[in-house]
Amino acid sequence: METIHSLLYGFQVALQPANLMYCFFGVLIGTLVGVLPGLGPASAIAILLPATFKVTPVSSFIMLAGIYYGAMYGGSTTSILVNIPGEAASVVTCFDGYQMALKGRAGSALGIAAFGSFIAGTFAVIALTFVAPPLAGMALKFGPPEYFSMMVVGILLLTYLSSGSMIKALIMAGFGLILSGVGMDTIGGEFRFTYGIRMLLDGIPMVPTVMGLFGISEVLLNLETEIRRDLLESRVKNLLPTLKDWGDSIWSVIRGTVLGFFLGIIPGGGAVIASFASYAIEKKISKHPEEFGKGAIQGVAGPEAANNAAAGGAFIPLLTLGIPANPVVAVLLGSLIIHGLQPGPMLLSKAPDVFWGTIVSMYIGNAMLLVLNLPLIPLWIQVLKVPYFLLYPLIFLFCLVGSYSIENNVGDVIIMLIFGIVGYLMKKFRYEGAPLVLALVLGKMLETTLRQSLILSRGEFSIFIFRPISLAFLIVAAFLLIIPIVTQRKKLSTLEE
Amino acid sequence: MNKADRISGIFWLIFSGFICIESYRLGLGSLHQPGPGFLFFWNAAAMGILSAAVIVRAWTGRKTEEPEKAVFGKENALKIILVLLALFLYAFFMETLGFILITLLLFIFLLALIEKKRWGFAVLVSLAVTAVSYLVFEIWLKSQLPKGILESLRF
Repeated sequence: METIHSLLYGFQVALQPANLMYCFFGVLIGTLVGVLPGLGPASAIAILLPATFKVTPVSSFIMLAGIYYGAMYGGSTTSILVNIPGEAASVVTCFDGYQMALKGRAGSALGIAAFGSFIAGTFAVIALTFVAPPLAGMALKFGPPEYFSMMVVGILLLTYLSSGSMIKALIMAGFGLILSGVGMDTIGGEFRFTYGIRMLLDGIPMVPTVMGLFGISEVLLNLETEIRRDLLESRVKNLLPTLKDWGDSIWSVIRGTVLGFFLGIIPGGGAVIASFASYAIEKKISKHPEEFGKGAIQGVAGPEAANNAAAGGAFIPLLTLGIPANPVVAVLLGSLIIHGLQPGPMLLSKAPDVFWGTIVSMYIGNAMLLVLNLPLIPLWIQVLKVPYFLLYPLIFLFCLVGSYSIENNVGDVIIMLIFGIVGYLMKKFRYEGAPLVLALVLGKMLETTLRQSLILSRGEFSIFIFRPISLAFLIVAAFLLIIPIVTQRKKLSTLEE
Repeated sequence: MNKADRISGIFWLIFSGFICIESYRLGLGSLHQPGPGFLFFWNAAAMGILSAAVIVRAWTGRKTEEPEKAVFGKENALKIILVLLALFLYAFFMETLGFILITLLLFIFLLALIEKKRWGFAVLVSLAVTAVSYLVFEIWLKSQLPKGILESLRF
């Protein structure tokens, strides 16, 4: 009953004309960001962050959150029509979406992607509505050992789920942790790893780092290979999925929704991993796995539902525990802090308007996306016709202005460019950026909670084992480390046989 | 990726050794009172072991029949270097020259010299992009971009 009451309050906040307008702008910009390859939601949120300084925290957060889940919708359009993922969570959609388009079924692919996204997004928001308040209450019982163990699980999970080598992913997480230590030690007050360089005194700024690692590096890589965009020139028609399309894909949407939501909640999960996992499952359980990669509608419906559900699910750890589940949510966390709010269990009681207003705005935003998205597809096709020689300087400009605008500091721009080169090299040597960013984001909190726990227990590591919640997290962490070793052994033994 | 893994593994091994030394200098403290270098020392030590594992795997891993591809292709390498140089120069001079002038120069450089478009086209597009981006960022989004040498004009 209390939840219903709070929901009504949320509607009261979200339906205010100004908030409706910010929600609309958020989802529209998000879709555009999703459509444009090379510009991700993290960079877009960072660029628009300074523009929200003068509006209320609730309006600001509604718009920035809209960019995040809006980008999930937009990404599929580019994947289906151009065979280039608009953003990372839509990579999988290229496999079957573009093949469907080649066979003249672009409308069905776009339609099922939009409806699947809507169903998944709405389910995630409903779940968020009912799961977040009790979880926030439970999180009040968390002490430093529980927070520490949970963050360890988050980082390990991301390294475990990473597509490449787990050893390399662990190295990246370690590197991120070291980067988080640059600047002033919050407990002792001394400077670490700064070597007298002024721009390092405040630490490595997260937003420029993310923009460099994911935005600049991606464009540099594209410059190397000269993107060829085979935009389908034929008119896209029949955007409403047929009954057969629904019959073929409804279970994929449901499976993708549930899987994506749970992967979204777990720190380290997120939309990219959810979409890949959903595709793998759909292919595995399909009666016709040979059709995957040749235009199977399930290969579009499942991953698109999964990435949208994950985007919604990622708000749960942010709003209840103050922990960002992925780099984009980390930028959102930064925006809340800039507005003087501390994400975490106290957010519900200290800023109920932000908490419930944002949740309800996501119901409205998802509906707006469905209504807007399909009629706007011709416009997105026009956007995609902008040649790459013009598009990449614009992406550079967005990143340069975005990183400068956060604190009007040239140092941030230089850091972004340095991490652009780092990200480019990482891609060349096949190291993943996501574990680095998550460890960078969680690093300070991880160190503080570790040191606080050890001070509390007078140096006894048993504090992490004698507290049941912490123990449960550590058991999961141990499994995540052991599983790859066991499976590797199995692989080796079969090779020897 | 064997050669690339060897190179990257050696880099991370040296890096983790460096961090171990630096963290030790910062002070490890004790278990009762962990110092500022405590977490980073053990983290770097673990990274060292992992990078050693990368090197060992790269050395002992099975060789594929296909010839190993070079990590960096020669094509477009100069383009990437020039673009990066332009971006760094943008950052260094954006406060001195101001957003308008530096953006105009960046776009002319990228379009006319890097993309080899006609000068007239490059200048026209650069002027348009600079004007629109100034309106969007400075006027609409109120981003407070640096005015640089154009500050005296007060527009």
